[in-house]
Amino acid sequence: MFPSEIEPSMPEPDHCFANLRGVRWRVNLGVLPFQASSIDDLRKATAESRRRYASLRRRLLIDPHLSKDLRNSPDLSIDNPLSQNPDSTWGRFFRNAELEKTLDQDLSRLYPEHWRYFQAPGCQGMLRRILLLWCLKHPEYGYRQGMHELLAPLLYVLHVDVERLSEVRKHYEDHFTDKFDGLSFEERDVTYNFDFKKLLEGFADDEEVGGIHGSSKKIVSLDELDPEIKSIVMLSDAYGAEGELGIVLSDKFMEHDAYCMFDALMSGSNGCVSMAGFFAYSPASGSHTGLPPVLEACTAFYNLLSFVDSSLHSHLVELGVEPQYFGLRWLRVLFGREFLLQDLLVVWDEIFSADNTARRDEDNNSFMIFDSPRGALISGMAVAMILCLRSSLLATENAASCLQRLLNLPEKIDVRKVIEKAKSLQALALDEDVRASALSVNNVFDQSVSPAIPARTNSFPSGSTSPKSPLIITPQSYWEEKWRVLTAEEEKQSPSAPPPKKKASWFKVKRLFRAESEPAHSGKTESKGGLASVARNLLEDFNKQVVSEPEEVVAVNNEDSSVANRVDVVNNEDSEEANREEVVNNEDGSVQETDEANREDAVNNEDGAVEETEERNVDFASAGEESITAVEETSSDVFSDPNSPLRHSNSIENDSDSSTGSILFANEKVEDQETSAVDSPLPVSSQPSIEFPVVQSNDEENTTDLDKSVAVSKERNKPFPGKFQWFWKFGRNLTGEETRSNGVESSKSDLVSSSESHSSPQASSSSSKGESDQNMMNTLKNLGNSMLEHIQVMESVFQQERGQVQAGLVENISKANLVEKGQVTATTALKELRKISNLLLEM
Amino acid sequence: MVLVLALGDLHVPHRAADLPPKFKSMLVPGKIQHIICTGNLCIKEIHDYLKTICPDLHIVRGEFDEDARYPDTKTLTIGQFKLGLCHGHQVIPWGDLDSLAMLQRQLDVDILVTGHTHQFTAYKHEGGVVINPGSATGAYSSINQDVNPSFVLMDIDGLRVVVYVYELIDGEVKVDKIDFKKASTSTSAP
Repeated sequence: MFPSEIEPSMPEPDHCFANLRGVRWRVNLGVLPFQASSIDDLRKATAESRRRYASLRRRLLIDPHLSKDLRNSPDLSIDNPLSQNPDSTWGRFFRNAELEKTLDQDLSRLYPEHWRYFQAPGCQGMLRRILLLWCLKHPEYGYRQGMHELLAPLLYVLHVDVERLSEVRKHYEDHFTDKFDGLSFEERDVTYNFDFKKLLEGFADDEEVGGIHGSSKKIVSLDELDPEIKSIVMLSDAYGAEGELGIVLSDKFMEHDAYCMFDALMSGSNGCVSMAGFFAYSPASGSHTGLPPVLEACTAFYNLLSFVDSSLHSHLVELGVEPQYFGLRWLRVLFGREFLLQDLLVVWDEIFSADNTARRDEDNNSFMIFDSPRGALISGMAVAMILCLRSSLLATENAASCLQRLLNLPEKIDVRKVIEKAKSLQALALDEDVRASALSVNNVFDQSVSPAIPARTNSFPSGSTSPKSPLIITPQSYWEEKWRVLTAEEEKQSPSAPPPKKKASWFKVKRLFRAESEPAHSGKTESKGGLASVARNLLEDFNKQVVSEPEEVVAVNNEDSSVANRVDVVNNEDSEEANREEVVNNEDGSVQETDEANREDAVNNEDGAVEETEERNVDFASAGEESITAVEETSSDVFSDPNSPLRHSNSIENDSDSSTGSILFANEKVEDQETSAVDSPLPVSSQPSIEFPVVQSNDEENTTDLDKSVAVSKERNKPFPGKFQWFWKFGRNLTGEETRSNGVESSKSDLVSSSESHSSPQASSSSSKGESDQNMMNTLKNLGNSMLEHIQVMESVFQQERGQVQAGLVENISKANLVEKGQVTATTALKELRKISNLLLEM
Repeated sequence: MVLVLALGDLHVPHRAADLPPKFKSMLVPGKIQHIICTGNLCIKEIHDYLKTICPDLHIVRGEFDEDARYPDTKTLTIGQFKLGLCHGHQVIPWGDLDSLAMLQRQLDVDILVTGHTHQFTAYKHEGGVVINPGSATGAYSSINQDVNPSFVLMDIDGLRVVVYVYELIDGEVKVDKIDFKKASTSTSAP
């Protein structure tokens, strides 16, 4: 009963709620009825909720002195100040006092930047009473830190509404009085009698005394009627239904209203997202995961993240950043600590306006939080916030710094953008497929140690399953298949044909994500679509050259020059091409199996070389930067094991998903070339699929050094999508090439890298000899060809680059010396490469 | 609302080993704001123990107290009540209401708390109260051989004080209470 939007059939409340956030929230949270036919309904509901609070307050706030008066024969052995009985009046009193002390500790530190309002004694008192009452009412939850931060904005919103009301009052004061005079006395009288009777009836039940009665008397004495049509005044009308108690905007009953809102928010109004659940330690009743709701929610939004941005997700998982580390804080206070109060209100506007009713079917096994639009939006928010930090998160190399970034969001974050993204993510979260696939995640989750196992990587078993049987769970292969179909469709160059609905949503997300990662550079990227087939032409410009390089390779190998114009399609297509290439090489089994097997073969072939280069890289790393070493070593371990399922899943992930990995990788390369960074040995070029986050982190450092925005580098790197797959396929070849390209600009490691590039092909060739089958020979020939091509490309690059340096590219000028130095060594490396390729061709 | 614990005549270790366990379990920190003690603790350990219940501790000197720094009488104001404290061995005859009333007027207090007799008494007298919390350990006295351990807790709230009397009779804590309202702030003593 809490629809997400206000229907147009209710122009009156719609109008006022637009301006009055407090009222709108109350409606959205279910305190006020949504389908109120008149203002009177609102008033009645308001009065009712306030009465409930008043009676609760009377019942639960204990004053032992007053209670003594009421009782005739108190059992003194129980009811004395030193009583050990927790149920005695005094026992409860002391417990309340203790709770209040705890509350005060938190409340006194609440919103120090808004201390003028929140630290005022009146506000503190209200907050304390509300929290105290809520905790007493819900002893199963009790008070937990963070609840006060959920409550404070609610109270603040009410306060703002009331202030606005008084403003309006002041403004229209003369207007009001005029209208009062024009009214007939009889009309007023009738209304009064009616209302007041009702008011008394309402009070008859709970015998409210004190303030409310006093105010009701005031109504009689004042004897005037407010006829203002404006809803804001209607809501503040003291003389409508329920009298003063029914004033929707009331200074006096702010505490009552805030409590009702807080209660509704905490309980979730029977919806599936209840904030109170986020503070509980026991799993919710309907939970399938057997986790406390907040942990389940954390897992849910990580799951969502894995769908949207698997590379970032796997990076976080690799670092061991579990979602609850920051998710607890985010979710428990509904992002209250991440945004400034003004922004937070906007965020909450959206969250509250989302419907919270569960649309749960009994056999649904997804996360509970995905069951309602509100829950989905909350998880969408979380993912959107993570995505905001995407680049800086990928740059981190350990969990601590990662968490530090997650827990200290930059203040300049554009809330509206985040919300917009969250909304599209919400749509995705509500998508049945994601929900369905959550089931498998849950299963994996239950078995595994870490709760952060992503959906994408659930193809690798949590334990140690036989590598020969790559365990592919249905949803994963499902997505895989979907991508295959999708990319194939795109390749057919049928832009007019609308893609299936779900794919469309996927694309939306992807594009959204894209747009985020390279804002304001769309013009440049768009032009790159056409670069695919014509490699030579593109070498004229350095950027363009870098862009075209992989695509050219793909074209050479594949002879498939049809490349879609859409930028994000390019990625998919490239990956598809890579896949196809593999299929061509190994024509056995189903698509999936081929994919897997092919990879394994390729890995086997490359193994020796790769391992060697890996070791070298590790050496470099230990010599250079110590922090990365560990990661690298682990990755090299993984890498050297050809049967590691992890790799498969990763590669699949990269094939089918966004090309972020390759982006990063390319990014690294570009950065290296541009900046000739000191830590060039680090780029670990030979482990693209697994280690791209690390790579990214290196070049992120470079980026920060250069004061360059990440977006720029991203934009440049973006058109590298196919490179990744290409790396995979011709791992050895690429290893050589890539290391060379690193060495080109690096002042330190050039010799080593050249030797590396020299050694790796030999190793691989020897290993491939062992295989000695026709396919391999063909492949090797292809490799040689492509290598030659690359060498030519690189040479022209260097020429170009030199020219650019002289022309005065801003980034390059400062590093010109280093670049020059690097180029000398690069040329030697090129020679080596040429030798290798010749050797290969002979084979 | 202030809770004031009044006790005295513990005579540890000479006449009693310690407070009764039941009392000890009731006297927990955090509830009581002030302790007034009529003396005869007699050793520092008891003083320290009382400090753990509540740091605001007021003690007058009994004839057996080791610590000679305790004053003979002490007055303090809690809320709107003025409290007087004296061990009582100086007031002769011991425990006599008229003599105590004299002391009450002398000190100009609303509530006079004395000890020494090891017998709980509470009188409303001349617009004030005279209280003897008895012996908290049930130590014998020269007057009384058979003494029930007892102490007094005063709940002072505005112009009203409720005196709770805790007495250990046959191993059971018996609680009684006495209400006392002050007429107004000015009527402390004639």
